[in-house]
Amino acid sequence: MNQQPGKLGIREYVSMVILMVGLKATEDTPAALYNMVQNAAWMIPILSAGIFFIPLFLLIKTMSLYQEKNLFFVIQKLFGKYIGFFVCLLIFIISSFGLSFDSRTYTNIIRVYYFKTTPVLLLYALLMTVCAYGAKKGIKHIGSVAYLLIFSIILSLFVVFGLSTQDSNIQAVFPFWGTGRLEILKSSAQRLSLFVEFFMLTMLVPFFTSSKDFRKGTWIAYIYVSIQISAATLFFICLLDHSLGEMGYPFHTAIRYISLGSYIPNIEIVFFILWVMASFIRFTVFLYINALMFGETFHIKDFEFLIPSLATIYLLIGSIPETPLQVGIELKPFIATTAGLLFTAVSIIVWLTALLKGEFKHAKNKNNI
Amino acid sequence: MRRKILKSLNKTFNSEPQFSEQSNANDIELKKQDISRHYAQNIETFKSIFSIPKNIDVKVREFTIRSLNLRAFIIYIGTMVDTDQVQRSIVKPLIENEQPSRKIQDIVSFPVGKTIINIGEITENITRGITALFVDGDHQCYVFETTKIEGRGIEKSDNEVIVKGAKEAFNEKLADNIALIRKKIKNENLIVEAHVITKRSRNDVLIVYEKDLVNDELLQKIKNRLASIDTDSILDLSILEQYLEERPRSLFPTLLNTERPDRAASFLEEGHIVLLMSNSPNCIVLPATFWALFHSPEDHYLRTPYGNFIRFLRFLALFISLFASSFYIAITNYHVGMIPPDLLMAMAGTRERVPFPSIIEILMMEIAFELIREAGLRVPSPIGPTIGIVGALILGQAAVQANIISPIVIIVIALSGLSSFIISDTSMNFAIRISRFLIIFAAGFLGIYGVAALSIVGLFYLVSLKSFGTPYFAPMTPHFFSGKDLLIRHVPMKASFRPGYLKTKDMVKQRKD
Repeated sequence: MNQQPGKLGIREYVSMVILMVGLKATEDTPAALYNMVQNAAWMIPILSAGIFFIPLFLLIKTMSLYQEKNLFFVIQKLFGKYIGFFVCLLIFIISSFGLSFDSRTYTNIIRVYYFKTTPVLLLYALLMTVCAYGAKKGIKHIGSVAYLLIFSIILSLFVVFGLSTQDSNIQAVFPFWGTGRLEILKSSAQRLSLFVEFFMLTMLVPFFTSSKDFRKGTWIAYIYVSIQISAATLFFICLLDHSLGEMGYPFHTAIRYISLGSYIPNIEIVFFILWVMASFIRFTVFLYINALMFGETFHIKDFEFLIPSLATIYLLIGSIPETPLQVGIELKPFIATTAGLLFTAVSIIVWLTALLKGEFKHAKNKNNI
Repeated sequence: MRRKILKSLNKTFNSEPQFSEQSNANDIELKKQDISRHYAQNIETFKSIFSIPKNIDVKVREFTIRSLNLRAFIIYIGTMVDTDQVQRSIVKPLIENEQPSRKIQDIVSFPVGKTIINIGEITENITRGITALFVDGDHQCYVFETTKIEGRGIEKSDNEVIVKGAKEAFNEKLADNIALIRKKIKNENLIVEAHVITKRSRNDVLIVYEKDLVNDELLQKIKNRLASIDTDSILDLSILEQYLEERPRSLFPTLLNTERPDRAASFLEEGHIVLLMSNSPNCIVLPATFWALFHSPEDHYLRTPYGNFIRFLRFLALFISLFASSFYIAITNYHVGMIPPDLLMAMAGTRERVPFPSIIEILMMEIAFELIREAGLRVPSPIGPTIGIVGALILGQAAVQANIISPIVIIVIALSGLSSFIISDTSMNFAIRISRFLIIFAAGFLGIYGVAALSIVGLFYLVSLKSFGTPYFAPMTPHFFSGKDLLIRHVPMKASFRPGYLKTKDMVKQRKD
């Protein structure tokens, strides 16, 4: 009943995760999915969720052996000092690049759709500054802000979906299987990157009162997010049909397309406010987790002081690509695929190692005693 | 490391100036002593302490106690005691009583408060309006609670106006204020504790709480904080408020200051702690959350749907007063496409002859509005209404006609200005008004993106605020059990929990049997 101070509540966690992962429905993901399997794109999030469920389940099961310890501790414990260190470093580097290019993508969206004449660097620097400020406040406060905003953001998303049905065509879901069933399955396996954030979120276990809260929250968010991304893709397919494939960021096209009756033709700004707030939170969490990873890898206790410098580094890395296309077509898919494969592999290997080392049996014996 | 260097630099540049001060070690030494048995010495001591006869309202009256046949004198401050009563029930019996009695208590008809021997303590009591009686050959001093200070009566609440519900407000008299609370909570567990917090003026603070509800840890924390205040004098509760706050420079208040006893009582019933101070017509409620500052007692006095309606209005007003002007700037400067074409043409038409950019327009009007508002507060009341008319007429109509302001700006400013009046808490009101200016600058800098960025930074800041360990948005986030009285409230029968963040001894208000 009483909450301990400094601990993350399940509500805050779930809203944070929904903002962090669910926001993928509003960037270039739906378009990328459409390009893979055409009209069946909406199936991919659900199918990948099904596939990624196995490694995530195994990982969380392994993690539950070590109460109140985070992912990197478990990795270093299971793999030993040296291999563990390299695995952690690899994960940190991959997720750093992921953060850099992701945040660049969002900056691109802001610039292309809303601030055409403002320099990218200014928009990007503001994004990173805000995120650094938020991340420095700590995960508990990030969660609180996420919880304060989550309802309005979800509501606005559903308003967009609702308004978009005015002009959408349900026939667009046919052909039902898109480019073919096998193709869908193959693409789903390639798109595990949709849910890699869940892998990173296991870094947050020590912030919970009980790891049961963490597990419960993770599964609630997991189910909700997969449905939300899938639903978003479905609505975009119905609204935009074939042109979805040629579009960079369907959500932003959709909010420009819809209108409130004939009196107020353009309402994208209202949705943009909530969307941009959600993106701030998304990258704040991302940044915090990355700083946490860095601190854990190099055994730095007060990792929160690293956040501003890390944010600057990410800002610099994210500024390297010259065009939005370079980010969207070359770098991001590469990082995403690598991350998807690597994180899945690590999850399974962690579980296997624990199994071979007999950690599960130890835990059982401990419980029996 | 850096902090250390900065600190030492700070020390060298801001060293405390040297004063040639006079030592009062003799006085302090004197006050530590006890009174003597000798009549003459006592009278000498107190005459010197109170600078008699320079000090005109300190009265000393010498006489002989007839029944004991002993010399005696009383000393009191004439302006702070009930002189009539002193004469009638202390002096008269002592002089006129002929019955041989050994004890002073049996002679005077006024109840003897207590006997004191320490000089410093007696002095303290006399300054508080107490009459002290010294008898020749007696090693102790008798003190009588004769305090009677003039002040204002109990009046209507001026600053927190409500339509339905109790109207009376706290006044400057401590006894009245306690009585106002006591008459609402008739329970022996309501404790009123006094603490002296300053050394020179000896201002005391009353801590009011319900013994069987309050969290002892919280109470101890507040007592420690009060004890840690090290200053000469704190004259008013509003100044004490600044001493108590964790972030005195913060834009947002973290303590609730109210002048309504019914409000104080309702917070006491929930397990909060209330601080009162003499000479202050208000009280501090702690810990206070955003919700406590945002709600008004009227929300509860009105029937549930009406109460929720005004709460919804207040929430809307909060948003309008924060964002209306900045939204206007952002829309007209950065996102013109959002305005319906007809309206856009009309706006462009009226703005055509205005030479300023819209941010200057908005800032001019905002500042003008703040000026009118402040002037309206300060002008003597007979000319008060005129100021409103002059302000509205000149600044509104004439500014538009002179092509300084476009008419739509007047609408925006009037709307945001009016809305800001709906937030009734004074400190919260200031916080909203000042942050509005920050948001206007953000909107001028980067349109909606700037507004969103500043808002999220503001939210991060707000959730990290704490009032005596209670997060600002508790019990919403982080979640605690509560009466669910946040954005909307339930019917009173349903609100059965006390706020969980207080960790009260009794969580449930009405337990169902």
